[in-house]
Amino acid sequence: MAQQIVLGQYVPGSSFLHGLDPRTKLISAILLMILTLSSMSVVSLSVLALAVLSLMILSRLKIGLILRTIRPIILLLVFAFLFNLFTGKGEIIFSYSFIVIREDGLIRAIKILVRLVLLVLSTSILITLTTTPILIADAIENLLGPLKRLRFPVHEISMMMSIALRFIPTLLDEMQKIMKAQSSRGADYDTGNALKRARGFVSILVPLFISSFRRADDLATAMEARCYRGGKNRTRLKVMKYSRHDLLFAVMMILTTLTVYALPYAFPGL
Amino acid sequence: MAISPLSNTWELSAQLEAIFEREIEKMETGVLLQGISFTYDLGLPQETQALSNINLEVRAGQHVAVLGHNGSGKSTLAHLINALLLPQEGNIVIFGREPSDDEAIWEIRCRSGMVFQNPDNQIIGTTLEEDVAFGPENLGLPQKELRQRVDFSLKQVGLAELAQRPPHTLSGGQKQKLAIAGILAMEPSCLILDEATAMLDPASRNDFMNLVLRLRAERELTVINITHNMEEVLMSDYIYVVHNGKIALHGTASDIFDQAELIRSMGLDVPVHIEIAGEIARLTDQPLQAAEAFSLVDAVKAVSRRLSDPPQLRAKLTMNEKAGRSLSPSLKEFTERKTLVRVRGLSYTYNPDLEQSVKALSDLSLDIYEGEFLGIAGHSGSGKSTFIQHLNGLIRPEPGVVEVMGLDVSVKKNIRKVREHLGLLFQYPEQQLFEETVAADIAFGPKQMGLSQAEIELRVREAAELTGLEPALLDRSPFDLSGGQMRRVAIAGILAMKPDILVLDEPTAGLDPAGRDELLDYIQRLQEKGQTIVMISHDMDQLAGLCDRILVLKDGAKYLLGTPSEIFEDEKAIVNAGLAMPRTKIFLEQLSKIDPSIRTDIFDPQEAAWELYGNYQAGGEV
Repeated sequence: MAQQIVLGQYVPGSSFLHGLDPRTKLISAILLMILTLSSMSVVSLSVLALAVLSLMILSRLKIGLILRTIRPIILLLVFAFLFNLFTGKGEIIFSYSFIVIREDGLIRAIKILVRLVLLVLSTSILITLTTTPILIADAIENLLGPLKRLRFPVHEISMMMSIALRFIPTLLDEMQKIMKAQSSRGADYDTGNALKRARGFVSILVPLFISSFRRADDLATAMEARCYRGGKNRTRLKVMKYSRHDLLFAVMMILTTLTVYALPYAFPGL
Repeated sequence: MAISPLSNTWELSAQLEAIFEREIEKMETGVLLQGISFTYDLGLPQETQALSNINLEVRAGQHVAVLGHNGSGKSTLAHLINALLLPQEGNIVIFGREPSDDEAIWEIRCRSGMVFQNPDNQIIGTTLEEDVAFGPENLGLPQKELRQRVDFSLKQVGLAELAQRPPHTLSGGQKQKLAIAGILAMEPSCLILDEATAMLDPASRNDFMNLVLRLRAERELTVINITHNMEEVLMSDYIYVVHNGKIALHGTASDIFDQAELIRSMGLDVPVHIEIAGEIARLTDQPLQAAEAFSLVDAVKAVSRRLSDPPQLRAKLTMNEKAGRSLSPSLKEFTERKTLVRVRGLSYTYNPDLEQSVKALSDLSLDIYEGEFLGIAGHSGSGKSTFIQHLNGLIRPEPGVVEVMGLDVSVKKNIRKVREHLGLLFQYPEQQLFEETVAADIAFGPKQMGLSQAEIELRVREAAELTGLEPALLDRSPFDLSGGQMRRVAIAGILAMKPDILVLDEPTAGLDPAGRDELLDYIQRLQEKGQTIVMISHDMDQLAGLCDRILVLKDGAKYLLGTPSEIFEDEKAIVNAGLAMPRTKIFLEQLSKIDPSIRTDIFDPQEAAWELYGNYQAGGEV
């Protein structure tokens, strides 16, 4: 049950990517996302594939671990591939009864597949696999900082995110405890019809909600007792700092961007 | 001489006390409350005053204990001292500041840190380091100083090596130490403990209080400890007793416990040695002098003085009183009884595939007999919880055999039946209540068994009666009840399934002394009705007083198994298993150094007093 649910996908390590400033990684991931979504040409996609391959090497993670991140979207991949495969215009390259595959459709289907895979791989290598959730939250707070002037509650949102991260394991633990307690009273969560099972979940959710409210109340008191009064005048123990590695990585990203946009002009046919 | 781990702390505190007593007189006032009243505004028609006309003074550097039953208002008092609540009436001065405006309130909160009861609900950071930094970050300190304070505070509480760990991987005791580190990092003058040790086991509690005493000495902290624990109370310099929102008593520990009867009547505990000495004093008609029985050694002397006096016949020991006491537990012939649960060669390892696998149980064999009260004791992580989860199939035995009423627990189709035969109640069971009414919650189990509506209603009524829940409560929401009542609803929910074996995991954890005694009383009555009971507890006095047999686990293996008299005979083994000796026995052992003929296998203070007195009446001399 709860023990099998892995929280986030962060894999501890000390690689070049692990050491980068989370803001660098976040911006780079967004940039790569835009590049992947906006480029259709074979050369651009090859450059991006090369970039993702170098990220894989820089992360020093096991290849299986990285590829595993594709698993949750396999169904989507198959669907997107087939949908594109059977549509489109152009020369027919295969037909059997009602199944018709055209050249244009095949190329598009492959490109879509490659783009989706690159999208998932680049974000998981740059963010989820090599950055702790709390650093991601910090990076978001920092990057959204300018919005504070527009009275956007940046600090509050980031505080909420980090408290959520802190309490997920505690609540999972608690859920497991409640399930065991109710099972001991004869509750059965595996068999019976939908209605019976739904009722079973009430016996887990109600205690879980009640205890969450109590925890929230306690936590608010504990935070006040430690002089919390919102983001005003608050300093941070961990101050994010750009290093030379970040500069190096940023230059690499700029070069990649330029190449992705420039190459299609050099090879207009592809 | 070390009697138990607990007495070490006591001795340490006695030394510290001597150092401080000289200086406290000179110290300035830290916390001053004058005529304080506080009422919670819950929007209810009849408001209840939580505190009324409270006068309290704590000098800087003093160690004050606040006693009181649950709901007496002592927690409100703590919140007022930390300016988390503001009084409606009266004056309050905390280290020279009155909570008059926002700035003053923040300053008060900076100067007094508070450790709360539930370890989980006061940790904010996702790593230890981040959590300790939370307070100083709020103070707006520069980053360099933050780093220094965080590192220093974690080192002070002995958690420096775990700085990068996520807090949910810590034990309860470590979490409370982390809370202290978070407060130290704000460099406070005053530490308020709001039942901070209530959820800890005795070893962690001891460890935690040693840390508090050490920090108090090193950093000249004022300590205000709200607690039910007698060992902790005896560590303090001064005691306030809060009863129904008023200060009922205040004075030094010896002043307070000289009025043992009054303390008991307020639903509070009295240290065992003072209780025995007081009882002997009553029986011999020689009242205790002021502070005569304050320490264990003094109490032993007080008792032996009274019992070795020239005997003057007193008719105190009337027949009625004699009949009222329980008989000392005699050895019962268990092996002739029916075996309800059979455990053979049970082992269990958490995360067997991973490198950090934990061996929780190893080769455990045990029979549980019909009608017996089996206690299970052991240090934290000794496998107690893992063991009882095997009994109703929440964990499948591998390897090993567990049979309940002849049903193999590892067979999936038996599990339903097994759970009807063996009712298992976890710690803090009130947290599993979820129905709209008490009756519906108690009926949950029987309903799952597919009983008829009439049968369910009958069982609900019976179970409610067994746990002392009045019929009027049945239609109320379980969430309107007190903590002790909610816990009895949870027990009734299990009893309504009419289990052959009732398994309880620390049923009295977190209750105040009155709630605890009430619950134990109901549990004992169940056993008298023939209910087979298995109970985990950290309280050796409880186990020794109630159980027929006690199983002591150590590192997942059976370490000791026998009657209370048998297992507590070997003090070395008990200490080795990380447990404390029952307090009554500690007292009798001390006394038996003076007269070796004294029986030491008695675990109830009242009974011990009767035994000593009876011995004396019979002509024996102490």
